[in-house]
Amino acid sequence: MTSAGPESAPRRTGSLQPVELAQAAVMAALCAAIAIIAVVVPFAAGLSLLGTVPMGLLAYRYRLRVLIAATVAGGLIAFLIAGMGGFMTVVNCAYIGGLTGIVKRRGRGTPTVIASALVAGALFGVATVVALSILSRLRNLIFDSVTANVTGVAAILSRIPGMQGAAQRLTQDFSTALNYWPYLFFASGVFSITFVSLVGWWALSRVMSRLMGVPDVHKLESSTDEGPIAPVPLRLRDVRFRYPTSDHDALGPVSLSVQPGEHLAVTGANGSGKTTLMLVLSGREPTAGAVERPGAVGLGKLGGTAVVMQHPESQVLGTRVADDVVWGLPPGTATDVNQLLSEVGLNGMAERDTGGLSGGELQRLAVAAALAREPSLLIADEVTSMVDHEGREGLMSVLAGLTRRHCTSLVHITHYNDEADAAGYTVNLRGSGWPTADSGDMVETAEAPMVTPLVAMPRVAPVLELTGVCHEYGSGTPWAKTALRDIDFAVHEGDGVLVHGLNGSGKSTLAWIMAGLTAPTSGTCLLDGAPVSDQVGAVAISFQAARLQLMRSHVALEIASSAGFSMYDQAKVTAALNTVGLEPTLAARRVDELSGGQMRRVVLAGLLARSPRALILDEPLAGLDAASQRGLLRLLVELRRRSGLTVVVISHDFVGLEELCPRTLHLQGGVLAPVPTTAEDLS
Amino acid sequence: MTAASTTRKQRRQVVLLRPVPGQTVIHDLWAGSKLLIVAGIGALLTFYPGWVPIGTVALLILAAARLAHIPRGVLPTVPRWLWLLLALGALTATFAGGSPVIGIGLADIGLGGLLHFLRITALSIVLIGLGAMVSWTTNVAEVAPAVATLGRPLRRLRVPVDDWAVTLALALRAFPMLIEEFRVLYAARQLRPKELNVTRRARRRRWAAELIDLLVAAITVALRRADEMGDAITARGGAGQISAAPTRPKRRDWVALAVVIVMCGTALALELTVLGTSGMRG
Repeated sequence: MTSAGPESAPRRTGSLQPVELAQAAVMAALCAAIAIIAVVVPFAAGLSLLGTVPMGLLAYRYRLRVLIAATVAGGLIAFLIAGMGGFMTVVNCAYIGGLTGIVKRRGRGTPTVIASALVAGALFGVATVVALSILSRLRNLIFDSVTANVTGVAAILSRIPGMQGAAQRLTQDFSTALNYWPYLFFASGVFSITFVSLVGWWALSRVMSRLMGVPDVHKLESSTDEGPIAPVPLRLRDVRFRYPTSDHDALGPVSLSVQPGEHLAVTGANGSGKTTLMLVLSGREPTAGAVERPGAVGLGKLGGTAVVMQHPESQVLGTRVADDVVWGLPPGTATDVNQLLSEVGLNGMAERDTGGLSGGELQRLAVAAALAREPSLLIADEVTSMVDHEGREGLMSVLAGLTRRHCTSLVHITHYNDEADAAGYTVNLRGSGWPTADSGDMVETAEAPMVTPLVAMPRVAPVLELTGVCHEYGSGTPWAKTALRDIDFAVHEGDGVLVHGLNGSGKSTLAWIMAGLTAPTSGTCLLDGAPVSDQVGAVAISFQAARLQLMRSHVALEIASSAGFSMYDQAKVTAALNTVGLEPTLAARRVDELSGGQMRRVVLAGLLARSPRALILDEPLAGLDAASQRGLLRLLVELRRRSGLTVVVISHDFVGLEELCPRTLHLQGGVLAPVPTTAEDLS
Repeated sequence: MTAASTTRKQRRQVVLLRPVPGQTVIHDLWAGSKLLIVAGIGALLTFYPGWVPIGTVALLILAAARLAHIPRGVLPTVPRWLWLLLALGALTATFAGGSPVIGIGLADIGLGGLLHFLRITALSIVLIGLGAMVSWTTNVAEVAPAVATLGRPLRRLRVPVDDWAVTLALALRAFPMLIEEFRVLYAARQLRPKELNVTRRARRRRWAAELIDLLVAAITVALRRADEMGDAITARGGAGQISAAPTRPKRRDWVALAVVIVMCGTALALELTVLGTSGMRG
């Protein structure tokens, strides 16, 4: 819970550390995005004031070197997209953000900000005047052009009877002002920097007080042990691990051994310490017990330990597939990228953009990058949990033969029982201090259900009706890409529909169109007979990233704001929490203290309190553990049965959705798959 | 990756950081040469914003766009208010008069003011076009390695160029993900009911609070992403190589640089001697 605080370790010198690099990069991208919007979108220039906050946060938490690296990176991105204006905006944001961040870190207050902003403003003013003195031709051009406009306005004014005096004043005052331009520019520099600093200071303080509860999800630590790298054979004896802030062990006691070339599976329910075991295997010191290795861990080093983690998107670091395979290897290491890619089934994709890959492909790419290090020990930590059915099978076949093809040991941590079968032997973790998890918490993968034939239903008018919906991104540009073609279907009152499709099948676009957030390029999407894009908000949608939908700081505020009633109306807040099966005491909680499952329920509470005509759920189960998945499903089934809620689920998975969604539609490459006549057609 | 795709009207969307499909001479130029050329031309135009340099650079851009097969569709739709603003500026500048004066029928019209206005407009358009040409023809994956190579001389001055290049590479990787998150954030805000406040003061406070809320949501997500990215970097054993096949300048790069230098040199010489338009004060 300390992620917003300044770095507690002694200030480092030298090259940027992994955490510093990542923070600099992400904050640079954020600042660049804000700067670009401020430059490109009309009347949004004020937004650039907010660009100071990410930079301020960086200056507050890390050393100056990090801020400078972020400024260079953010400035270049903004330049590539928005030209010189974007670049200058980022530089200004870094200048002012750095100032406020450093003042904050030193623990000073507003007077210090004003004083230092005056100094910084004076420096900026002097720099502007000097630059304009050197660029005399550009200065003349700008002044001439503005003079022409002012004179022209005066000329027009002077033709209006009675305005001659004003016209004369205008030209005179303007030329006087031009004569004193260095003073004018200096003064406006001081004023604008001071003003922006104060706004930035205010925003930074407000944001930081809200960030205090954000949990730190950073887990891995660079290995510090010296000596020759040799992580296997590895033996754990009665190992326990307890996090510094916790009062019970997150892991253990565990005893196991990993021999060279061995394939070991580790299973266990959520909370049994699977991820903690991964940390210990990759080099963290346990709090009790002993870990024996012949040499150093060598995390990420050649011949050392490699880790593949859960999140497909954030593990991939290169923008091009081939670049990602070699990312981070010591300079000069020769790698047969194509060989590695073909081993994981990504033949011929070396030049592809990583942005366009599916979850399964991203994970296989992460395996290739791990193999490029020829690791002695490869740890796969729940690598399939965020991947669709097809991707999961591909990934499993890559992992299955790994120990035979390379001289590496594989530890595969998973919560899917069937995945553990491929291993040589299996270790089942039982959490300590937690009730013994029953095997029911393990997830079985499900097969695709049959497409339900669309029986003509002689019922009342449908709630949502899509006719000939096509959507194309970037129409009229060289980047035009069709996402959806000729989608026809209707959703009736009380229906439960599952729209199933793999990554890139257009299912998210379809969800946005049904919620009215995107108007289709052609065709219509009608809600009760009128275009849904004119009734944004009438159809509720819960996005996959629940955190983005929670805007207020506390649960009660959030529900009140998203449902549109007063935050003081406690009865309504409690009622809303009740509908989603949450305790009323949760109302006082901060949003960032909620678990993933709770976040999703709070979003639902806010959406349902407005009695939407239909509810769209985009990947409602993604990222939840088995128990939360079942709980959420039970709740949704119950809601649909009790209040006749119309539900549309968008998902790449089927697990347990049959009851909630009796009807299934398959989306493939932007078209609805035809209803198969026999079950064989489906496979 | 598209911005503003939630607008109601079907306007041409701005596509960010994706080159125009194709494999032409301009696409194949080393990213470092393009950055150098843009920096050089940018410097030339800020020091000598005369008609001749502006025209020359515009010619270079058009020729490059032709070579790169850039279709007209890449240009975003210019909003109507911008046209109006330009027309208004041109109108007022025309009323300012000034030499040269031409006679149309009975009236003498001084074009001096209008020419100044047109020159600064042309300068802005050319500068924007210059940057746009780079982003339309360059794969983002090539930018960071090129910056590392270009900055190599600075390493001797103990400037951490490699850190910068790695940060840039990672930022370019994170950028589309953040834009996507902004898109969801904006959509989520659209879904909410509008809050009605009677007094102006209440409205202003509401607006400020909402801005902070949006910013906090964006930063929370960014922090999480940064934490995960930090883990991923640690799992790779820290920074090192960033490109599988680093590209270097080839013959076509030297040719391109030579063409640009000759053209710009000629334009500069003309500007400073016979055809100078930026030196005098009108």
